[in-house]
Formats: sequence, C-alpha cells, structure tokens
Amino acid sequence: MMNLQKIVIIGAGTMGSGIAQWFAQQMCTVELVDNSHEQLDKALKSIHASWDMLTQKNKIGMDDALRMKELLSIKSLDQVSADADLVIEAIIENLEIKKDLFKKLDQTFSAHTILASNTSSFPIELMAEAVSLERKPRFLGLHFFNPATIMKLVEVIKGKDSSVELCRDLYAWFDSKDKKPAMCKDSPGFIVNRVARNFYGEPLRIVEDDDENKMREVDRVLKEVGGFRMGPFELMDLIGIDINYSVTCSVWEAYKRESRFAPHKLQKQMVDEKRFGRKSKRGFYKYD
Amino acid sequence: MKNASVEKVSVGFISMTNVLFDDVLINFGFGTKEEKKNILRTSGDKNVFMDLTCFDPAEFYSEFPNLHGTFAALFCDETKKIEIHFKEKNEIVLLKLQELGFTPVETSIISCGFVFPRTIVQIINEAYFALDEGVASKEDINRAMKFGVNYPKGPFEWSEGRELFVKTLLKELLEKTGDQRYLASKSL
Repeated sequence: MMNLQKIVIIGAGTMGSGIAQWFAQQMCTVELVDNSHEQLDKALKSIHASWDMLTQKNKIGMDDALRMKELLSIKSLDQVSADADLVIEAIIENLEIKKDLFKKLDQTFSAHTILASNTSSFPIELMAEAVSLERKPRFLGLHFFNPATIMKLVEVIKGKDSSVELCRDLYAWFDSKDKKPAMCKDSPGFIVNRVARNFYGEPLRIVEDDDENKMREVDRVLKEVGGFRMGPFELMDLIGIDINYSVTCSVWEAYKRESRFAPHKLQKQMVDEKRFGRKSKRGFYKYD
Repeated sequence: MKNASVEKVSVGFISMTNVLFDDVLINFGFGTKEEKKNILRTSGDKNVFMDLTCFDPAEFYSEFPNLHGTFAALFCDETKKIEIHFKEKNEIVLLKLQELGFTPVETSIISCGFVFPRTIVQIINEAYFALDEGVASKEDINRAMKFGVNYPKGPFEWSEGRELFVKTLLKELLEKTGDQRYLASKSL
C-alpha cells in the first residue's frame, strides 16, 4: 500500500480547505498554501472550529482533534516542504494560472512528489504540458466533491502520461481511507459532471417554460419516486443557476456542441435576468 | 370492491398483465405501442388505467376516451413508488394499486415518459456513452454518481434488466421531438 504522509494543498478556498481538513483527519501532515494570508487564516480558523464542533458532538476525540491541529499548518509557497508526497492544486479555474503554478511546483518539489489538480473543467493533459518529462508520469487529476470532508467520491483521473500503477496505488489508498474513488479517463466533465448533466437538462425540457408550479411538481416526483435527495430545480437554485449554466456550456463546448449536452433556453433566461438561485433570492423559486 | 380477476396478455416477449374488477381494467407491463393500443381497442366498456412508461400519455388520451389514467411502473424499485396521472381521480384504482403493493404518487404533468423515467433514461444513456468511450467502468460510474452527487442508485443499477424499456423510451422521445439528444448509445 502506498504511503502518503506529507500533503501540500495549494488554494485555501472552499475546496482547498476542505481537502486539507480531510487529509489531516487521515493523520497526514498537511501544509495549506495560498497567496492570501487573510484567506489562510480564515481557512485555518474555520477548520479548527469544525474540529471543535466535532469534538463537542463526540464525533472525534479530544486527543485526535489536538493531533489534527498539530498536523495542519498554513504556509506560503516559498515555505513549503519540498519533499511532500502529494501536492494537490485547488486554485481558481483558469488554465494559464494553473499551468504557471504547475511549472513552479514541478521545479520546487522533489522527484518523488505526485502533482495533482482538483480541476473540474480542464483536461489533465493540458496542465501536464507545464511539467517536465520526468514529472509527467507523476501528474494526474484528483477531483474531490464539495464538501470534501463529507462527500466520499474522489475521481482519480489518468492523464495521457500518468502512470497506470500510480493511479491504481492512489485508488487503493483512497479506498483504504474514508473515500470512494472512481478511476476515469481524462475526458470532459470526467464522470459526474458529464453524467449528471441530464438530471438538469431533462427536467428543464419537461417543464419547458418558467412555470414554478410545474418545477415544484417535477422536484417532488423525482424526490418521492426517484429517491433523489433534492429535486433538480431546488438543486440548481442551491448550486447557483449561473454556475450550473457555465458548467453545462463548458461540457457542451468540449463535446463540440453535441445536442445531448445543449443548455436549455430557460438557463440562459435566468442568468440574463440575474436569477441565480438562493444567492440572489430569486431563481426557479423565490426566496424572501 | 369485488374481487379482481387477473389475466396474462401474452403479446411480444414480455407479458402484460390485466387486472379486472368492477368496470375497471388496469394494464401492467411492457408492450409495444401497438400492443398497448390493441388492449384499449378490445377492452369493451371498461375504464382503462394503463402503464405507459415508455410512451406519451397525451397521444393515448386523445385517441382513446376509455383511457382514464396512466402510470409509469417499469422503472420502480423496491419502494414500488409509481407516478400516476388521472384524467379524473379514481380512489378505487388508487386503493387497488396499493393492494397490489404499489405506492402511487399522483402527478398532473403529462409528459412522454413521465418525469422519473424520462429523466433516468437520459442519465442511463449518458452513462452508456461514457462506458462506450472507455471513460470508466460500470462499477466506477455507479460509484461516482452515488458518492459524488448522492444518487440513490448508480445508472447501471437502475438500468439492469430494463435496457429494453430504456431503448424504447429513448426511441419514442426521438420520434416525438426529433431531437438528436435522445439517440441511444451504441452499447444500449
């Protein structure tokens, strides 16, 4: 079994701090890195508060919580331990910025370090262009789901040059921990963001128009009959209709505008009307 | 309510079942569109309630005044919850479906493939496309959807033994809408 002890997470946003927290909970040494000290402080405070709450609820022991706090530290990129076993990038979804970062990481970290991206939208192959030939076999995608401490899935994405053995070892490592890994090829949307598109696209085509009663009924039927925890319209309102629309468009473009992935006119209409969902108090439903 | 009589209707290679009581006929099971229509043509003065999971209830309602309600039971799981649409609500039929072990969930939406089957066949179809392209194994696709977005089942768990229903509904949606999004994947 692979031994992952030292982990570096780049990006202290929601995903990055969630991933850092999860690794610390596996008793790994974790260094959380960000350009912004303010963001790092905020993330550390929030992770500590989460562990304190879990301790109060007897979900984790006091000693474990103390140990996790010792294991997790915040750093700037020039302070990180260059001998980390695994580095996961969870920064803004901008290909050029990610490539610049991976070029630096490739030069900073030792030859055995695995470099991974938590991207949900860019091909691993494109990011791998930024690293040296020697690093390419140790470069792959590790896609976590929000909230990373709760959602069990990690998509282990094998890039064109990623070592098959390394991907299998990581799969086995996550499987031995509190995660459910899924191995997948480097293709647009990977598994979830591709297969889940129709959970939104088809209900939109069933209701066709901006009809709140019909949407409520579709949500109710899919929960009652299908056993889904949330209906598609309430889920899109929660995720943000703008974000969901953007993912839909990105997958649609990546598949050369294949009609299976085409966005629905209602999605664009909502975004144009700034009805983004819960965050704007108006989406498919009203939130007053 | 009088005791119901049950008859098997052997058409196609999957039998349909007719449950008859009072002036009501409830037709269960999979059949082709023509086989379903033949049941309605030959049902005499019975008020018919029919499983139309793979078809468009609107088409059948407009053609057959003796069709009083439609439901979708072909994708129901162990919870036996099924979508049902009534032209006029019929409490006796609801009771009979409950006696038969179903939990009817009423809907006013009339849509080809109802709500759940129509949504789920598209999720299943995309999972098959991903499988055909070697994106991941069946097991990993099931796992990803259950643990990444909390689906109660993986797409291949939903489709197991129901591939014929998936293909039939996709074909019907393609014919009704002309939209290529309903083209079935190769391995389906």
